[in-house]
Amino acid sequence: MAAILPPSGPPPGLPPHEEDDPFAPARALLNVPTELDTVELVEIGQDTMELNMGPQHPSTHGVLRLVLELDGEVVRECRPDIGFLHTGFEKSFESHTYQQCIPLTDRMDYLAPPINNFGFSLAVEKLLGIDVPLRGQYIRVIMAELARLGSHLVWFGTHALDLGATTPFLYAWREREHILDINELVSGVRMMTSFIRVGGLMADVPDEFGPMVEQVVNTFPRRIDEYELLITKNPIWVERTRGLGVLTVEDCLQYGATGPVLRGSGIPYDLRKAQPYSSYDHFDFDIPIGSRGDVYDRYLCRMQEMRESVKIIRQAYKNLPGGPVNTSDRKVALPPRNEINTSMESLIHHFKLVTEGFRTPKGQVYHAVESPRGELGFYIVSDGGNTPYRCKVRAPSFSNLSALPHMVRGELIADVVAVIGSIDIVLGDVDR
Amino acid sequence: MTTTPTSDSARPVSGARAARLLAAKIPHAVLRRDEAYGEETVYVAREHIVEACTLLRDDPDGLYRLAVMVTAVDWPDREPDEPRFDIVYQLRSLQYNDWCRLVVQVTEDDAHVPTMEKVFAGMDWHERECFDLMGIIFDGHHGLKRILMPEDWEGHPLRKDYVSFGEPVAFTHNIEWALPAQERPPGMPGSAR
Repeated sequence: MAAILPPSGPPPGLPPHEEDDPFAPARALLNVPTELDTVELVEIGQDTMELNMGPQHPSTHGVLRLVLELDGEVVRECRPDIGFLHTGFEKSFESHTYQQCIPLTDRMDYLAPPINNFGFSLAVEKLLGIDVPLRGQYIRVIMAELARLGSHLVWFGTHALDLGATTPFLYAWREREHILDINELVSGVRMMTSFIRVGGLMADVPDEFGPMVEQVVNTFPRRIDEYELLITKNPIWVERTRGLGVLTVEDCLQYGATGPVLRGSGIPYDLRKAQPYSSYDHFDFDIPIGSRGDVYDRYLCRMQEMRESVKIIRQAYKNLPGGPVNTSDRKVALPPRNEINTSMESLIHHFKLVTEGFRTPKGQVYHAVESPRGELGFYIVSDGGNTPYRCKVRAPSFSNLSALPHMVRGELIADVVAVIGSIDIVLGDVDR
Repeated sequence: MTTTPTSDSARPVSGARAARLLAAKIPHAVLRRDEAYGEETVYVAREHIVEACTLLRDDPDGLYRLAVMVTAVDWPDREPDEPRFDIVYQLRSLQYNDWCRLVVQVTEDDAHVPTMEKVFAGMDWHERECFDLMGIIFDGHHGLKRILMPEDWEGHPLRKDYVSFGEPVAFTHNIEWALPAQERPPGMPGSAR
């Protein structure tokens, strides 16, 4: 009778015979002390573990890498690592004429491109000292508020998806489609519209614009009711978000957090109200604020903000004045086509604007607009040439994200996802 | 054509409140005041910038408590003895609905400023970005390392002497500009090989 399993060593009583033992090399390796033998066991709670979250993690909303220092499930420290989407837009600005910079601004906060165009255009117009006709201003407001709705819808869908609610994501995409259709109608492009230009707009809006805006305005409030029915009083949602990621007013100011993050903490500061630009003071709307500064309050603020945006769009569309949309300064805005056919001077202007753009006076300006994420500022330094000498973009996501470590310290790792969703970052905006 | 002035034109000069406050409380820190485009810029001496920002943050007449940004502008074409970098600080006061701009000028050899992160925690990342892209050293910063560029990157991309693109492509008409004589293959015009 033979043994089924090979014996672990030579049979007792016999000397080891290496040639007969095919496992000898492996056994010799096993006897070498490894690093594991020298590890001293420590008590639970004494040591922490480092965990990489991202840059490919779906709930980091882009390519954000977080290095989390964990004690069990509790986050002791969080170090965001950004820059994966750094594109050097600020360097590129310096070699593009002002109008050529507009498509670059689209690609920073890619969820609300018209608002980036808006901020850049306003800063350059401040430098040039020109005003846009009222019709242009109103259409700019409508496009900006539609972009805000679109951006908040993406936030709503993904934030809910991160916390396990799948339905809102599909609903939000359905509504966003109508807004992208309007973008397509007016500019020919669904996302990177470049519709708002220095001196006015790309073109006046076509006739179909009215009915499409009206349809969004009429259906949207009911849609928001639908979303709120799904989420706002959902016990799972409230449990997961209330009291989480709290940012006090003092923290917000210290970190430079603006937008719904600041308003969620209870400060009614909105640049559309505080320093109204482009006729925002003609419209009647409220600034929703929270009181606790947690994830849930930021959620409520943004939901309410969507209703206010609809109010602004409705008023702007109802009172949309006639007239031109572009400034009459032919040194800045392209002359209309029919003028080029009849006037030599217009042809020259057209040629000069297309080939070398316009020049701005020397100096430095800063203009900030309220983007869906907060204060989006453009600091432009001009040396009198046809390109910005230096253009710094004050991105709201960048400052808001810098408060993230403060918000997640001491929270559970599963809640990090909720907090990231609630500050609504766009990595294109963070990294620029 | 009807043009109504935008709401901007009616607003008081941005930063005038901060400039008055600094001139009254710490006049030794204010080097120059400059007003243009409805914005007032205060040029502050480097050794007083932390003091100036702390005053603006805490003084009941200022309360510039929101950290907006720090950035720098490179002026390599200035005279050699003039400062090459303008370091720009912007703060916002929610109480008085105003924002202000402070500028510190430093030379290329001595591109150092004291850190502002003790005054505004949010300046941490902005200072790292400014160091990364412009090469300004913020003395006393707890971890001044690159933030947007890869950590092993060389140079500071936003400086004017950092060429962003324009890799030379050799054609027959620009061969002398694109390729040095030693690198030209044998048989090419002007080849040294």
